[in-house]
Amino acid sequence: MTSPHNMPDADLQQLDFSRYAEQERRERRRSMWTALGFMSPAIILVSFFLLYPVAYNVYISFTRWRRFTGFDEWGGLSQYQRLLGNPNFSEAMANTIIWVGVSLVLPVAIGLFIAVMLRGQKMEETAKSIFFLPRVLAPTAAGVMWFYVYAPDGVLNSILSFFTAEPVTIGWLYNESTVTPSIIVAYLWQTVGLAMVLLLLGLAAVPKDPLEAASVEGATRWQIFRHVTLPLLLPTILVVVILSVLAGFTVFDHIWVMARDFPGKRTLSLTVYMYVEAFDRSSWAYASAIAVVLGVIVLSVTWLQVILQDRIDRMTK
Amino acid sequence: MKNWKLGTAACALALSAAMTVSAEAQVLMAHDKDFWRDGMDVMAEAGNFEHTGYVTEQYRAFLQSSMSANNPPDIFTWWTGNALADIVASGQVADVGELWDERIAAGEFSEGTRDLFSVDGVTYGIPMLLARWVVFYNMEMFEEHGLSEPTTWDELEQAAETLHAAGITPFHATVQDGWRGFIWFSEIMIRQNVEAYHGLHDGSVPYDGPEVQAVFDQWLEWYEAGYFSDPRSNEEVEEFARGEAAMYLMGEWATGTLLENGMTIGEDLGVFIMPNANPSQAPGVIVEGAPILISQEAWENPEARRVYEFWASTDGANVWAEAQSLYTGNLSATAPNAIIQEISSDIEAGGHTAITRWWEAVPSDLQGDIVAELSSFMLDPTPETAAEAMANMQAFNADYWADQ
Amino acid sequence: MAVDLTTLDYGVIARDEARRNRENRGVFVLMMVLSIVWLAPFYYLIVSVLKSPAEYVASHPLALPSGIMPLFANVTDAWVEARMGFGVLNSLLYGVVGAGVAVFIAIMAAHGLARYRFSGRTFWFMLIFAGTIFPFQMYLIPLFFTYLELGLLDTRIGMILFYTAICIPFPVLVMRNYLTQMSSEMDEAARMDGCSEFRLFFSIILPNCKGPFIALFLLQFTWIWNDLIFSTVLTQRVEVRSVMSTLQVFQGAYADVSQTVVMAASLLASLPTILLFFVLRRHFMQGLQVSSG
Repeated sequence: MTSPHNMPDADLQQLDFSRYAEQERRERRRSMWTALGFMSPAIILVSFFLLYPVAYNVYISFTRWRRFTGFDEWGGLSQYQRLLGNPNFSEAMANTIIWVGVSLVLPVAIGLFIAVMLRGQKMEETAKSIFFLPRVLAPTAAGVMWFYVYAPDGVLNSILSFFTAEPVTIGWLYNESTVTPSIIVAYLWQTVGLAMVLLLLGLAAVPKDPLEAASVEGATRWQIFRHVTLPLLLPTILVVVILSVLAGFTVFDHIWVMARDFPGKRTLSLTVYMYVEAFDRSSWAYASAIAVVLGVIVLSVTWLQVILQDRIDRMTK
Repeated sequence: MKNWKLGTAACALALSAAMTVSAEAQVLMAHDKDFWRDGMDVMAEAGNFEHTGYVTEQYRAFLQSSMSANNPPDIFTWWTGNALADIVASGQVADVGELWDERIAAGEFSEGTRDLFSVDGVTYGIPMLLARWVVFYNMEMFEEHGLSEPTTWDELEQAAETLHAAGITPFHATVQDGWRGFIWFSEIMIRQNVEAYHGLHDGSVPYDGPEVQAVFDQWLEWYEAGYFSDPRSNEEVEEFARGEAAMYLMGEWATGTLLENGMTIGEDLGVFIMPNANPSQAPGVIVEGAPILISQEAWENPEARRVYEFWASTDGANVWAEAQSLYTGNLSATAPNAIIQEISSDIEAGGHTAITRWWEAVPSDLQGDIVAELSSFMLDPTPETAAEAMANMQAFNADYWADQ
Repeated sequence: MAVDLTTLDYGVIARDEARRNRENRGVFVLMMVLSIVWLAPFYYLIVSVLKSPAEYVASHPLALPSGIMPLFANVTDAWVEARMGFGVLNSLLYGVVGAGVAVFIAIMAAHGLARYRFSGRTFWFMLIFAGTIFPFQMYLIPLFFTYLELGLLDTRIGMILFYTAICIPFPVLVMRNYLTQMSSEMDEAARMDGCSEFRLFFSIILPNCKGPFIALFLLQFTWIWNDLIFSTVLTQRVEVRSVMSTLQVFQGAYADVSQTVVMAASLLASLPTILLFFVLRRHFMQGLQVSSG
């Protein structure tokens, strides 16, 4: 591409290769500066608003916070030690693990079920929109609505009391045993649609021939699904699972809005716990340590994704 | 290309809208009392200052961090008790003792009120609010069942029993907004054993000892008798106003909301101070003070000082009382409403001592955890939850005091 | 192919057909039931905003409203009392400017990454992309303090800057792939004609990115519009708060307002995304494809 224009008609033996190399280097350096020019707004904004805070956050997690004076004292690992001994942290961690476990299985399972059922049906388009519809509500707005659905005198209880023929006043969002499952249901209502749409896109890419061949040979729906569709759909499933697991680690809006009156709100997830410790109790250094723990987990999952993706890519090729 | 131009124009328009921020320099008062926004607007108009309301939890973070950046607002609200001691330690809050000397000499405030706003004998704030914690009751219900304001613990229990037998919920209490858990706990405790109540706050009385056990016994007994309302409501004040319960233990500041919701003082809304369970104890009442502080820098600024003094003046108190029906403890100001007037005269007659509210008295690091435990008990009032709550509260408490 | 028709087992085929039909009908019924369950909360939302506060308290929560007039009172109350008006306008500003500028900057960066050959490209790409891999919780405390020191806390410009920054990395990823695949013949020709790099970008590259620009803009606009946590942390005054933060504060601190008004406020908060979904469903799904790839 970078062809020297005025190549002297010379004996190749005498050609000065280093001159061309130098020219090439200069060319590349010039492109680099042009490219950096184009990239600079992005680099500056991202570095200042995203990367610098992450580094600063890690730093704060190693300090002690003096009320009204600042992070003026090096604390070493003391914040992390506090984490380990705190029952609230273990509870928040346990609840986060529940969220992750649920996100690992349910969105993809329900989404896949609906997607496979819908595939090729006349109502596919309409149904697709219906299941996707909750997604267009903001998580906060959906949380507010579900808050009233779950209220002791709310819709859910009034429907239940229709069946039991006596008043039901379960406080779904007030009991330790029901609060997380209730929020999870609302969360799934909002997120399954996305999983379903992505899986439908994946299904559309599955070649028809093997399906038809299997069908002609009299295979049942389940057999076709299990032995033909599922293996071909694996890459899509992986993407969906990873997306929902990462989302599961960082659910905040739904819990924050729906559990606002639950006394143990701070222990409902690591994200909520971090927020409360920082902005409600001003334990800034301690909260930074929680954020770092969360960051390490999320990065590990991302890393796992890269490895898995790589393996699946090689498997399918 | 047309779309691009349109887009650019829209961006430019939006940006210019973002830049137009009001520029006039007035003294700024920061507060977390946005629920009194209307009254604050009236005060700001009368006293010629600006005010900004924040959400409580953000407000704390905002002030703590702006202080660590050495840039506090001119005038700002805060809390008494431990929280006041904390913020004063920053060295950025002005000592306003001379203002108090002046006002007390003029007979506008009492020494007792001043103590509430002092740390180690130095006064740092003036009251935006001085609220006694009292029992509002539904007068119509009381009259209908031949009840009068209880003056002893037994009378209180009898009234509750009579109402309950008539199908009326005697006591209204909820966990709405997450902070209300301490209300009945601390009220029962000061009625039983005020000494032990004070001991809770310096670590000398544990949360799992016999003193607290006695409170839970009483609380649980009432729950088991069905005296309390469903704690899971989002409309606490409205429900009491609608007559869903007979008695409502709350700060005097709830009066305004109760009136807005259709109650009328003397017709269906009455008030009394809860009697002591331990008759040998001197009468007392829980007092909540909301202080207004001023930064050292603003204290030197005549304009900021003028606004600050307006809040402490009788004129200011009258405007505030008129606008928001709130009491500041100013003795020469008109009482904002008949409820406050009645309580003031009751206190004068009974010689009640002021007791700092639990929320302000407890170390702020413990507030959240302990209130959560108390709320858990209200949501599931059983002996098991009580035992668990006590054990957990003491675990947090012991942990905190071990660090001091 | 010659098939001996007489040997074909018509019975088996018919049975097979019948089984399939039965299955299809079963699937249909099941999906109908599921759809109804899925739509039920929307039904509740809609009947609620159509009731007056008094009507809401008096009737069954799922009962049909007696008219639609209370809707206007509820929406007005939400707009004025809950101050949702501020929130909606602020979020519109943050969303339009933040997403618009971010996608524009991202296309510029992607252009630099995809269409110039120089060493260290991977490094710069990873640097920008690193902005998407950390959980938001890691940004909150440092941003809060940095903003406070810089005087950006609780300002519209602070919100716009942050939203712009956080909306950059993902579009860079998408646009880099897009621009790598785009043929470079045109730019070579333009360069030959002495076209400057700057003009090349604006008159050749940018106009070719309209499709993905719109898709990415919508995606990022929706993200900004729906954000709760950053607005909660970085803004305090109602005049600056985003719509979600206003809604959440309203639900929490002013609980003495009727549920019908809160529901109207939630609906108001979701209106732009609902509208976008219906008007631009095609673009939305395209955006989805982009985000999954």
